[in-house]
Amino acid sequence: MAGHDDSGSSEKSLNGLPTFNAENMQNNMKAIYYSRTFMSIIGGVIAGILGFTSLTGFVFYFLVMAITSVGLIAKAGFTIHSYFDSWNQIIFDGILGGLMSFVLFWTFAYDIVHIF
Amino acid sequence: MAEDLVLDTAIRDWVLIPLSVVMVLIGVLRYFVSKLMRSSSQSPDPKIIKEGQVIVRARNLRAAANFIPAKSFRARKAYFSNEENGLLFVPKGQASNPQAQMFSDPNMAMDMMKKNLSMIIPQTLTFAWVNFFFSGFVAAKIPFPLTQRFRSMLQNGIDLSTVDVSYVSSRSWYFLNLFGLRGLFSLILGEENAMDDTQKMMQMGGFGFDPTKSLGAEKDNLDIVQHDWALPKFEQRAEEVLRKRIAEH
Repeated sequence: MAGHDDSGSSEKSLNGLPTFNAENMQNNMKAIYYSRTFMSIIGGVIAGILGFTSLTGFVFYFLVMAITSVGLIAKAGFTIHSYFDSWNQIIFDGILGGLMSFVLFWTFAYDIVHIF
Repeated sequence: MAEDLVLDTAIRDWVLIPLSVVMVLIGVLRYFVSKLMRSSSQSPDPKIIKEGQVIVRARNLRAAANFIPAKSFRARKAYFSNEENGLLFVPKGQASNPQAQMFSDPNMAMDMMKKNLSMIIPQTLTFAWVNFFFSGFVAAKIPFPLTQRFRSMLQNGIDLSTVDVSYVSSRSWYFLNLFGLRGLFSLILGEENAMDDTQKMMQMGGFGFDPTKSLGAEKDNLDIVQHDWALPKFEQRAEEVLRKRIAEH
């Protein structure tokens, strides 16, 4: 699968050849990483304030990540192949990376609001 | 489960929040200190940079080889890798090589030591500080249950086996912060901070970095590239499209 940047009608002759700019690709991946990290921190604070415990919190985390994925896809204008290699990148990348931040901020907000 | 253990609000105000704030501030401070150290010792060798740029250009040629005609590719390849004066060609027995390495070694070693120190010293200091002021507090409670196995991880510094595992001691809260704040740092300080560790690894790998060797390797890579032009009918197609355009008008 190739991200056809600006290729438009010339797709036919470029069949199967990867035609993407590595730098732009990296930039896009970075954007995904940043939005995921941001959402995991915000989601952690929200989960803590709402007082979710145990399984509810983790379900909430994956819900937030799903919303982020949808948001990213919408931002890409539902034509992700002009920005990314495959669906996996936009849907699954960096989900587990944000978990630690989520747990930290979840705990922090939960403790401040509910425990003391 | 909150009714099991009542935590004093003073612990929140004087342990939990200060600890987290200090961790964030120390992370920011460390970032700026390491940035200062890095910029002060900036003395790039023009020769090394030149060779690096040549390698980058050769790599670009290799990556985009199929988008230029065979003739152009051959010309460029000869420019890079012919045996007389190609840019990637290194004459045998180059005398300057060991000298150059000797020259660049102490600088690099110093640089790496500085970077390492700027990582290790604040961490040690913070850990000592947490140990000294906050040892033995039950500082927080994580909002999900865990098994007994996590007790040594989360209740580091409390020797009570009856406390529920989800209560976190102050020292373990420090560790949680250490790992969990990485994401926040990458947001507020830019990517450089997050990349620090991996960059250091790369530097470790390339410590005995020999530019002539990588030039030779890039030359070999370029030599084995199979050229296969991706756009053989390009001109005809362009003509077709343009004719269609004209016919439309």
